[in-house]
Parts: sequence; C-alpha cells; structure tokens
Amino acid sequence: MAVGAWICLLAPLAGALLITLAGTRISRRAAGLVSTLSVAVAFGGALTAFFALLGRGAEKRAESTTAWTWLSAGEFQAGLTLLVDPLSVLMALIVSGVGTLIVAYSIGYMHGAVEERRYFAYMALFVFSMLLLVLGGNFLLLLAGWGLVALSSYLLIGFEHERPSAVAAAKKAFVMNAFGDAAFALALFVLIFRTGTLDFGGAFAALDDMSSTAVNLVALGLLAGAVAKSAQIPLHTWLPDAMEGPTPVSALIHAATMVTAGVYLIVRAHPVFEAAPAISGLAAGLGAVTLLAAGLIALVQTDIKRVIAYSTMSQIGYMFLAAGIGAYASAMFHLMTHAFFKALLFLAAGIVIHALVGQQDMRQMGGLGRYMPMTRIAFWIGALALAAIPPFSGFFSKDSILASALAEGGYGVALLVAGLVGTFLTAVYTFRMLFLVFGGEPSPFVREHYHAHGGKEGPFSMTAPVATLGVLAVIGGWIQVAGLWHPLSDFLDPITIVDREHLSLMEPTLTQDLVVAAISLALSLAGIALAWLLWSARRARVPEAAAARRTLEQRLYFDWLYDRVFYAPAVAVANAWRRYVEDPVIGGSIDGIAGGARGLGGRVGQAQTGLLRTYALAIALGAALLTLVFLSAR
Amino acid sequence: MDVGNILVWAIWVGAAIFCLGSAVAVVSFANPFFSALALIANLASLAVLYLLLSAEFVAAAQVLVYAGAVVVMFLFVIAYLGGEADAPWAGGPTWQAVAASVAAGALLLEVVMVIVLAAGDRLTDPADIRGAFGSPGEVGRLFLTDHLLAFEITAVVLLVAAVGGVILGAHSRRAEQDEVALGEPR
Amino acid sequence: MLGPDVAWYLGIAAALFATGTLGVLVRRSPLIVLLSLELMLNGANLALIGFARQFGDMGGQVFALTVMAVAASEVVVGLGLIVAMSRRRVELDVDRMNRLRG
Repeated sequence: MAVGAWICLLAPLAGALLITLAGTRISRRAAGLVSTLSVAVAFGGALTAFFALLGRGAEKRAESTTAWTWLSAGEFQAGLTLLVDPLSVLMALIVSGVGTLIVAYSIGYMHGAVEERRYFAYMALFVFSMLLLVLGGNFLLLLAGWGLVALSSYLLIGFEHERPSAVAAAKKAFVMNAFGDAAFALALFVLIFRTGTLDFGGAFAALDDMSSTAVNLVALGLLAGAVAKSAQIPLHTWLPDAMEGPTPVSALIHAATMVTAGVYLIVRAHPVFEAAPAISGLAAGLGAVTLLAAGLIALVQTDIKRVIAYSTMSQIGYMFLAAGIGAYASAMFHLMTHAFFKALLFLAAGIVIHALVGQQDMRQMGGLGRYMPMTRIAFWIGALALAAIPPFSGFFSKDSILASALAEGGYGVALLVAGLVGTFLTAVYTFRMLFLVFGGEPSPFVREHYHAHGGKEGPFSMTAPVATLGVLAVIGGWIQVAGLWHPLSDFLDPITIVDREHLSLMEPTLTQDLVVAAISLALSLAGIALAWLLWSARRARVPEAAAARRTLEQRLYFDWLYDRVFYAPAVAVANAWRRYVEDPVIGGSIDGIAGGARGLGGRVGQAQTGLLRTYALAIALGAALLTLVFLSAR
Repeated sequence: MDVGNILVWAIWVGAAIFCLGSAVAVVSFANPFFSALALIANLASLAVLYLLLSAEFVAAAQVLVYAGAVVVMFLFVIAYLGGEADAPWAGGPTWQAVAASVAAGALLLEVVMVIVLAAGDRLTDPADIRGAFGSPGEVGRLFLTDHLLAFEITAVVLLVAAVGGVILGAHSRRAEQDEVALGEPR
Repeated sequence: MLGPDVAWYLGIAAALFATGTLGVLVRRSPLIVLLSLELMLNGANLALIGFARQFGDMGGQVFALTVMAVAASEVVVGLGLIVAMSRRRVELDVDRMNRLRG
C-alpha cells in the first residue's frame, strides 16, 4: 500500500524531471506521452493503494509511511510522511485519474503550440504537487504541496507568456494564493506553538488542550488558505482571470483538482473546524454567498470559459457549504462528480475553441451542433450533470448536500435556500451557454472559421478523454444515492466521522431527501425552461435591467473594490515614499557617497605625482618611521 | 693587544674609510662614468671586509662577479650612452634633497642606535668557527642541500632577467616607429 | 676573532646603506640611481655576512650570494630600460618619466 502511494507521488515528478532534463533530445510528442504515462502510472499506484484499503476493516484504513525526518528543529519534527487513508486515496484517484485523461487530451490540444515540452513538464509537476498535497502525512507537507500547486498553477496560467494578459492573470492568481498560503502558514505556526507537532493525528489529539481562541485562529487561518485556493468570496477574483491558461489547464487545475484543495483541507482538518463551530459556519456561509454570486455573474459572461469558471466557483461553494455543516462525505462526493462533469465541460469547450481557432466569445458562436454532434452530446451530458438532473451524477451529490443542509435545520435552512436558488441559477447559465454555442443556425463566424480535424471533431487523443469523462459524468453519481445506499460515505467513514460533542449533524432522512430532490429538480427544470425561452426559442426577450446587468458584468465590483482599497493606496504610499524618502534620503546619500568618493579620489590622485623619486622617498621615510616604531616599542 | 690584532684593525680602518669614501664618491660624482669607477673601489674594499669576516668565497665572487662583470656592464652602457654629466647639486637644496637627507640620516641613526642599544652585548663575542667556514666547498654544499630551492629560483630569475634584457635591448624598427614615449621627447 | 667586533662592520653597513639611499633619492640620472642601488644592496650584504660571522651560520653568506645574483638581474633589466629609453630619445632623467601621475 505504501509502495503504491510512493509510486503515485513520485511518478509525475520523475516525468517532469525527465522532460526537463531531456530538453530537445525528445520529440514534442514524446514529451506528451511521457507526461501522460507518468500520470497514468500515478493513477495505477493510487489504484493499488485503493484496493489494498478496500480489503481492510474500517479501523485499519489508515497507514502512514515515513521516508525520513524531513525537518527537525528542537522538539519539533516533521517527517517526509505519506498518509494513505480513504480520504487521501480518493483524492489521489481523482487527481491522477482525471489528470491522466486531461494530460492525454493535451497531446491533441497543444499540438503545434510553441514550447509543448515545457507545457507537459509543468503539467506533470502540477500533478506531483497536487499528489503531494493530498498524500502528505502532516500539515507541513500539505503546505509544501499547497505552495507547489500555486507555483505550477502560476506557470501554467502564464504559459503563453507572450500575452501580457496571461502574465497578469498568472501574477494575480499567485498573489491571491500567496495571501492564502500566508494565512495557512500562520495557522500552522499557532498549531506548532500550541501543540508542538504538525502530524494530523498528534495535532488533532492536542486540540482539546488548546484555548478556544487558539483553535479559532487556527481554523480561521486554514479557512483563509482554503478560500484563496478554492476561489471563494472574497478571494475569488483570480479564478476567472486564470482562464487565460490553455483550456486543459483550466480543466485540470481550475475545475477538477487544485481549486478543490480547499475542500480537501477542510475535510482533512475537520477536527479543527468542529472545535471551532463559528468558523465552520463561516465556511458554509462563504460557500453559500459564493455559489449565489458566481451563479449571478455567470449569467452575463460572454466568454465560454469564464462561464464554466464561474460555475466552478459556484459548485465549490456547494462543497464549502457541505464541509461547513459537517457533511464531509457529501462534500467529497460532490468534489468527485464535479471533477468528472466539470472537466468534461472544459474539455468539450476546448474542442469547440480548438475548432474555432481560439475563439472563446459565445456571441460569435451558434449552431455548432450541426457541425459537432458528438461534442454537443458531451456538452449536454456535462450540462445536465451540472444542472443536477437525474440520473446524471451532479444530481446525486448536490442533492445529498442540500438534504444535509435541511437536516441541519436553523442556519442550515438559510443555506438550503441559497443552495436551491443556486440550483436554479446553475440551470439558467449552463443552458444559456449550451443554447448560445450549439443551438440555432450556424453564425457567420462559425461558417467562416469552423475547420474539422480531418473530417472529425477532434483528434483521437482529444475525443477519447471526453468520451470517458462523459461516461463518468453519467454514472459517477450512482455509487451513492442519498438515503438508499452510501458506499462512499462508508468508505470515508474513519476519516469523516463527526465528533458529536462539537458539531451535531443530523443524517437526512429519506423523506427530507426526497423533498429536497423534488424541489431542486423542479427548480433546475424551471431554469432550463427559462434558458430555453430566452436564448433558444427566443419567444421572450431577455429582460434589459441595465443596472443589474452592469453590476453583474462588473463582477459585483469586487475587482474595482480591491483596486480602490488595496492597490490604489499601495501605489499612493509607494509614490509618497519614493518622493519624500527614497529620492532625497536614499538617492541623495548614494549620490553624496559617490561624489565624496570622486572628490577624495581627486585629492589622493594629486599625491600620485608620477615622480619616481617621490615614491622612493615615501618608502624611505616610511622605513625610517617603522624602525623608529620598532625601536620605541622594544 | 698583539701584533696580528693591530694589523687587522689597521686593515679594517683602511678598508672602512676607503669603502665609505668611495660610496660618497659614487653618490656625488656628476659623471656616471666616475661614479661607476668609484663603485669598483667600493666593491673592492667591501671584498676586504668580507675577507676579514671569513667569507672568502663571497669576497672572491664579489670581485669577480660584481666588480668584474656587473660594473663592466655599467661602463659599457655609460660609454654607449655618452656618459653625460648632470649637475646634481645645482640650484641649491630642493625640498626633495632635504627630505632625502633627513630620511637617510634617520635610517643611519636608527640602525646605529639599534646596534648600540638593542643588540650591544650580543655582538661582542662572535661564534667559534671551523676552518671550512666560508670556503667554496661549504657554500656549494649548502646551496645544493639546505638552500636548493633558493638556488633554483635564483637560476630562474637570472634566466628571466637575461631574456628581459634581450627583449629590452632588441633593436626593432617597428618599436621606433610606434614611439611609445615613456616621457617627454628629448 | 681578530680586529673589531661585528658591530663595527654593521655600522659600516648602515652607513653604506644610508649613502645609497641618499643617492637614490637625490640623483636624477637613472644610471647613478642604479649605482646607488648597488650601494644599498652591498650595505645589506655586508650586514648579512657580518651576522653570518657572528653566529657562525653560513646561511648568511649563501643569502648574500643570492642577493648578488638578484642584483645582477636587476642591473641587466635596469640597464636594458635605460638603453631603451635612450633609443626612444627620452631624456635620461627620472623626473621626466612622470606619465603615471594622478
């Protein structure tokens, strides 16, 4: 089992190193294959660990393996430890499995792009970082993976570095993530200070001895890290901009894996959050706000990838909501199904963009269904799963979250209402996108620019992963049907068992489940109908509500606000410093030193007469003086 | 005080006066030709002093190598250049000359003081020496045993100096055309 | 040892050295500067040989011989320079060679 985990972790790293070191000695295609293969090997390693776990009883489903002591400072020690338990294996399976499909897809998508090898090295590096994050056996390794993920995300978003907007987006993502990293690290400092260890087990066991303030601080720091990584309000503004990266990057990083790391963190550190109920509630509330705000903003986006990006934010909002109220298994379940259908949507969108030579504006599209019937089917599957229509996967996972919220009662009901409204919004914006892209007659732009790939909609390396993900998006939800059977929850049980003392989570009853399912299904269908009326049948005009529309197009003014509150004052302060401190004091002193040195050099230079005898005289006088010194010092 | 001692004292006084006198002559003659001749006298008197100090081989080498070869080389160059005299003491004492006198006088005074004060009693009773002291055989033995490295390095220095002398003295038409002047042209 | 003590020889050596120093510092003809340098070297040599006698150590004499060889090298190079100067029609005056002034 440990071997499987190590193979899982190290294979992508080996792939990244191999591609980097081999440089131009291997072909571009070989680089893609090496990358895919390394991630596939990681998937194999995760599978072995998974099956090894399945054969064990619930009590024994956790094993940690330490390679060596990685860091040792006095009492504090942290090992290079991998933790294999149901949670980490599930995450590793999702990361490496979906990762394999997406990296394989990249071979076709990136064909002919400049610097393909660099791309594939980054991809393998990213998968390694993500696996380190999920497999790390203590908070320190988790943080290391956390930072590496941010780095590789930065590299991949800015992959097309000749475009200034891509560079700016990469920088933005990195800075926002660094904010989260800092909060995360501060939480860990508190943890080290109070408990002296970063091992999951040790730290959680010591929680009872900590003051509630300290626990709240730790939970808050971890939440800030999770919020930044998972693009939740208020640290969400980087995710839509991150769509500057190549589409497979968006699929892998900004849909399926990296942005879900925040959810993983909350689930992994759930004892901390259970000990800090206020912070858990805050997490759930942030999730609810995010899912509503992102759903609203997605309504007016015109860039196909940005619509999907906002829907990602929104869906992760559901996961935060679930994790915040303690429905960890539901959160992980939604994380898994979301990875399938969101990757599917991104990759299908990638095929569309690929076929339209890079065009991402949905207003230019239309009628593509005629040219790309298979892609349309894939998109339909993804959209239905996203809109939570049974029997597609999204229905089961979202339903279990909402049912848990209902069972929570009180605060949970407010969250449930937000979730239900979000369901409606999700259906509307998803099908708006679907109808705009595929419905109707082919637009002039499509007619002009569409080019088939050798008579097909895309190369095999692109269509095969999409087909696989399509199947998974359909059936992925069937492994757990709320109220009927729940193997996933059982599998995760040893990890996500709720400490009843701190947080009471009512298991939803079958009735609650059915009620919520009926309401959410009705809302989804209503949303689809509305979208059909507005953007497909065109029997109704889109309401003009200019003010609301502008607010949404300005993304609820978050960027504007951050610009005013953080960026502009920082610039003003920096300018003031330059004008009043740097130029006169620092610059002046440097000029003074330089001028003084030059003047002194001129003076000293005058002693340099060029006359040999003067020099000799100086030597002789010096010798006489030295002898005198020695004499008197005798 | 026996006769031998008196004789040696007499020789020493003569050699010393001759040595210092010729040294002053070297420094003060206007014509370098005469200065070089005075140097020969100086070296010869020094050789006498070396002999009194039981340094027979060094004394011989002094006469042969120094007086016989080095100074002769000087004389050749002076003859080649025309041996013009400058006027060393013309125009009264300059500050450079005054300072130089002070420096030289200070050095002399200090060394004498060192001899008188610092090391007075340690310089009265010289070591007993064997008959071989200062003989060519002993010098050669030391050069090939204890001081072999110095010997070899000296050989290299001499070789480099010889090559440098050839290069400096080589008459190159091109170098004259380039006229990389070291100072003001004459 | 017959004759004066070694201290007297050292006095002569010091006087010789001082005289040479004076010559180097005062004279402007490079030839005489070189000759004065020889005086200084000989002063040092006399001191070396005096000490060799005083302590019965032949090392001083060996060192004096080495100094002689080095002095010969120095004379070769110095005279070569003087000849080169005169070739380039530079006045034989050390004060005129002041191109390196600051």
